[in-house]
Amino acid sequence: MSNNQYWKGLEELNKSPEFLQNKSNEFMEGIPMNEAFKEETYELSSTRRDFLKYFGFTVSSAAILAACNKAPIRNVIPYTFKPAEVVPGVANWYSSTCNACSAGCGTIVKVREGRPVKVEGNPDNKINNGALCAVGHAELLSLYDKARYEGPLKNKTKIEITAIDKEVGKALDEINASNGTIVVLSSTINSPSTLASISEFAKKYPTTKHIQYEEFSSYALIAANEKSFGKAILPGYRFDKANIIVSFGADFLGTWVSPVQFTQQYTAGRKAIKGMSRHIQFETNLSITGSNADVRIPITPSQEGVYLLNLYNKIAASTGAPSLPVSALEGPVNMIDNTAKELLANRGKSLVVSGSNAIDIQLLVNAINVALGNIDSTIDFINYSKQKSSNDQEMEQFVTDLSDGKISAVIVYGSNPSYNYYNAAKFKEGLKKTKLTVSLATSHNETSDDCTYLMPDHHSFESWNDHEAMAGQYSLTQPTIHPIFNTRQAQDSFLVWAGVNKEYYTFIKENWAANVQDLNFNAVVEKGYMASPPASPTVKFVPLVVESKVDLGSVASNLVRIDTENKGKLQVILYEKVGVRDGRMCNNPWLQELPDPISKVTWDNYVASSIVYASKNNLEDGHLVSLKGGNTNTEIPFLRQPGQANNTLSIAVGYGRPRYDKDGIAIETIGKNVYGMVSFADGAFCYHSYGASIEKAPGSYTLAQTQTHHTLEGRDHYRSTSLSKYTANPKILQKQVEVISLWEDRDYRGHKWVMAVDLNACTGCGSCVVACNNENNVPVVGRDQVMRGREMHWMRIDRYFTFNQFSENGSADRYRADLYNDLKVDSNNDGEANEKITDEAFENVSVGFQPMMCQHCGHAPCESVCPVLATTHSGEGLNQMTYNRCIGTKYCANNCPYKVRRFNWYRFNDHDKFDFHFNNDLGKMVINPDVTVRTRGVMEKCSFCIQRIQDSKLLAKRENRAVVDGDVKTACQQTCPAGAIVFGDINDTQSDVHKLFNNERSYEVLEEIGVQPSVKYMGKIRNTFDEKA
Amino acid sequence: MNIYNILALILLLIIIFLFRIRRHLTKAINLKFPENPDPDWIVDIFHPWYHHLNKVIGLISVTLLTLLILGGYGFWYSFKIGNQQGYQPDQPIKFSHQQHAGLYKMDCRYCHSVAEKSKNASIPSPGTCMNCHKYVQATAKYNGQISPEIKKIYTAVGWDPDSQKYLYAPKELKWVRIHNLPDLAYFNHSQHVKVGKVTCQTCHGQVQTMKVVSQFSTLQMAWCLDCHRTSNVDVAGNKYYEEIHKRLKNGEKWTEEQNGGTECGKCHY
Repeated sequence: MSNNQYWKGLEELNKSPEFLQNKSNEFMEGIPMNEAFKEETYELSSTRRDFLKYFGFTVSSAAILAACNKAPIRNVIPYTFKPAEVVPGVANWYSSTCNACSAGCGTIVKVREGRPVKVEGNPDNKINNGALCAVGHAELLSLYDKARYEGPLKNKTKIEITAIDKEVGKALDEINASNGTIVVLSSTINSPSTLASISEFAKKYPTTKHIQYEEFSSYALIAANEKSFGKAILPGYRFDKANIIVSFGADFLGTWVSPVQFTQQYTAGRKAIKGMSRHIQFETNLSITGSNADVRIPITPSQEGVYLLNLYNKIAASTGAPSLPVSALEGPVNMIDNTAKELLANRGKSLVVSGSNAIDIQLLVNAINVALGNIDSTIDFINYSKQKSSNDQEMEQFVTDLSDGKISAVIVYGSNPSYNYYNAAKFKEGLKKTKLTVSLATSHNETSDDCTYLMPDHHSFESWNDHEAMAGQYSLTQPTIHPIFNTRQAQDSFLVWAGVNKEYYTFIKENWAANVQDLNFNAVVEKGYMASPPASPTVKFVPLVVESKVDLGSVASNLVRIDTENKGKLQVILYEKVGVRDGRMCNNPWLQELPDPISKVTWDNYVASSIVYASKNNLEDGHLVSLKGGNTNTEIPFLRQPGQANNTLSIAVGYGRPRYDKDGIAIETIGKNVYGMVSFADGAFCYHSYGASIEKAPGSYTLAQTQTHHTLEGRDHYRSTSLSKYTANPKILQKQVEVISLWEDRDYRGHKWVMAVDLNACTGCGSCVVACNNENNVPVVGRDQVMRGREMHWMRIDRYFTFNQFSENGSADRYRADLYNDLKVDSNNDGEANEKITDEAFENVSVGFQPMMCQHCGHAPCESVCPVLATTHSGEGLNQMTYNRCIGTKYCANNCPYKVRRFNWYRFNDHDKFDFHFNNDLGKMVINPDVTVRTRGVMEKCSFCIQRIQDSKLLAKRENRAVVDGDVKTACQQTCPAGAIVFGDINDTQSDVHKLFNNERSYEVLEEIGVQPSVKYMGKIRNTFDEKA
Repeated sequence: MNIYNILALILLLIIIFLFRIRRHLTKAINLKFPENPDPDWIVDIFHPWYHHLNKVIGLISVTLLTLLILGGYGFWYSFKIGNQQGYQPDQPIKFSHQQHAGLYKMDCRYCHSVAEKSKNASIPSPGTCMNCHKYVQATAKYNGQISPEIKKIYTAVGWDPDSQKYLYAPKELKWVRIHNLPDLAYFNHSQHVKVGKVTCQTCHGQVQTMKVVSQFSTLQMAWCLDCHRTSNVDVAGNKYYEEIHKRLKNGEKWTEEQNGGTECGKCHY
């Protein structure tokens, strides 16, 4: 049995009246009866005459329909000459690289008849090993975005490419003659050939300066490494080699540097329960990394430095280094003691990281890692990373120069400072003083609007490119579709303007031939990946003596000063969301509708506040607050967030950009832009804001949360325990239930498809949800429909909170377990909220994630109530859904104990109201041709990717072999960076899933009701302090 | 409902109208010349029971009878909705399967080349036609001129027969699709042709005798299921089926239905 009592959200814990009312309803909003009945009298609003009219109309239209029985003529147009590699009806897979962020994950792109329909991770690429994140999947949808630029523009009017080349070339020549500065402003570029093409450009125009700018920067890491080690590089991190992982606000499982890579490493060290790593997270906002931590300590942003200093002193004390001056810690001192003890016991096998962009913090982290001997073991400076390479100081200098009128030309490539630079007004003002401004954007963005010329770039799915995301690890992007619009690849533009008469494809090949060893270009195109190890991997990297180079004393005094100065102020932390990240793909419906893993909010950002702050200021969920801080002055919705450090707020960046309709016209702004709260402090962008002000604004705003849509009545769906309890009793997560069945057991002798989900691995990142959307043509419904509980996701990730009880060694009051021991969350008891919970307690929660999809029950309750046999059982254990039989009674959804059936309230794929890419011809190109596009009025749900099962079986038959374990992978399993989902045939006794089903952590959700689900979950084990240290 | 049914209905209505007009005219004449009445032959024939008939019962029975006939027709007709058996549209090129597949005995898969690999059998690209029709021009039939139908291929691919070169821009060739399965049903040719070893003629009829191809089967679900219920799975020689057969029905004969071939999820997803 699980030890912890979980709750889904504050409304369940506090038993708000709305919650109590909604929990008994299957559909949040009932059938819209008011439209059919007049509200006051409940008389039918239609009269007998209406009835006769409709009756007559129906009869006559039926007669007309019958009279035109001939189907419309459908044409088949064959290729004039069929390309040899294209087989109509069979997908081709091309290896490529993900360009959604600069982490450089390898992809394989599924192309049907010349159009990419799905992206998956490339198993041959050693960065992501076949996995992909939510953003990587969703990038495909932005290929078919109506907001893309359809051709070059000059001052927003159309112009020919040749004309643009002539005019830009002339202007550049003039600027060059007068020795004016030309700036190429880009985001992080991990592509050696792109850098080379910009160098070619710089060769012709020697005054060119290339600046890499990241709106959510990791520059402090690089700057600190330069100071500490003399190397301005980002090292490779090895979370798999660390027994102890200590993170200060680094969301490395969600957004930090290379989340897919880190998730794989992290779960590799945790899946085998024996010897699993311990993860301690100090953070302000509740991130998915913090949710997965064994121990999570909420701290305010200003405290981070002080905590690190105390940790450093503890470690220095045992290594004999001088300790640094620091103020005493408030709060859980024992946590720092424990953390230091653990780290010292695992020297060389531990890892300390910080997500902060303050150089001082990173210097201190470097010093700790050096003291622990982690360099060259868990921190790799040989196989270093090129995934982030921005420079905040250059950017800051550039904007100053720009507003001083010192810059003559700006070419913006893959960057959008008009939107995301903290002082956008200054940038925009400066841009006006510039002679030549060129944007190379792909789709509508704010900076292009401020530029004279726009030469649109190909989308990455239409481009050639190369990548070196990790030193010596090369991968290629290859085009998988003919360019849709009149665009030209940015690198080609650079080459044309540089006067290099070569296509970029040829340029890459020549660049590789000159610079990369062991080259077989075509083999790399095929595999998508090549490792060419750095020159001397045997030579160990010897870190410089930190103390001699870096004055840690001044670092310490600066960090202490920051804490003392800001102690009383309102502290706000800006963070990236797992879906929308820095806002590049703000107009991506898949990402917007992906619920935030923690708050379960879709389509908006908001002020996430600690419960203490909310009660103190009388603020509630759904209030609008006016937020003033830095250059931001906006009204934004307010949300109470358990896990948020007391008296702090957090706000996601990346919002406040428009959404576009099916004609490519901006219709509404999604969320609010808070980049204005960023500041430039101590040589780097600072994402902590001190002294912002918040006031309740008039009006309210409801956030579209999916959180409480599927209430599970407080049963133990999510089971977890601590490592020591599990070691003492491995069967602790099992429950003895006696089930009396009314039905005869089914006999599955052929295939029996089942799924095992490892809750210990699942990080809640949401990649599976987007992969499922893509594979199964799941429609996006929009904010309004989500608020009505009509989201269509076949797969959801349930998030449960529980109060932490790790504090037996604790001294500080807020960590005392006995405060919460009596807590019972029992939503069957409709009584008052539990009064023992103090507001302060809410910062100290731990979180569990549980992917929930159709459980394909053996004795499925949905099947027995369907009046039209639209949902039936297959001999392979699948619960089948036949859409064309369904008449939409919704009985099945009412009877489903897992609440996984979704009803189509509208024709989401065609309706004008649902401008989420699917209702226009361009967006429809993403539809998977092997899966039905469901219409209004039918029920749908997870099919266990039956099209993939059928496909794998057919392939085996054609190849004259049996289906082997691993042939069939569901879309969610294929993409999961944590490897948390395993699918297979349980009748194959050699299969992985067969072994996992017999694992002692495995349990069925709601096993007591005896529906025999085909999905088993493996309980979560937390490696907490009180049990082991 | 075709044009003849409608015409018949209209004619019937006209006849009834004409009868009514005739009766009214007769009545009018009789009123004008009461001394010499024209016999109302309907009254004569149906007398004596005509005037004793209860009009209400009569009305009800006539209505019921009409509804029964219409309903029966509707019920019968509903089975034909969407059924395009026999559909034989005109094609942009008068291509004769009888000549190619029948007379010259070309294998179906020479043109429909991916039937064993894909869900589609595929319509051949005009490029495939050019494999032969670069040289085969049927000039003998057309007084030394190139056959106009073969010329259409040349237009499609942009071939200039004089210089023997692809000189012009290709032009799309819009064939009319004969076999239209609804989107809600998934069908895979390779499963049937390659794995199930079903001949093309089983579903498409004797195409090698058709000058103009028409739809041979109903392509309705009942037609699919009939076959799946009766045909045995050919286990021998396919390791996939051997393995599954061992698990399911060791040794016994085994129809496609017993292998789950009539389950909804096999075609509808």
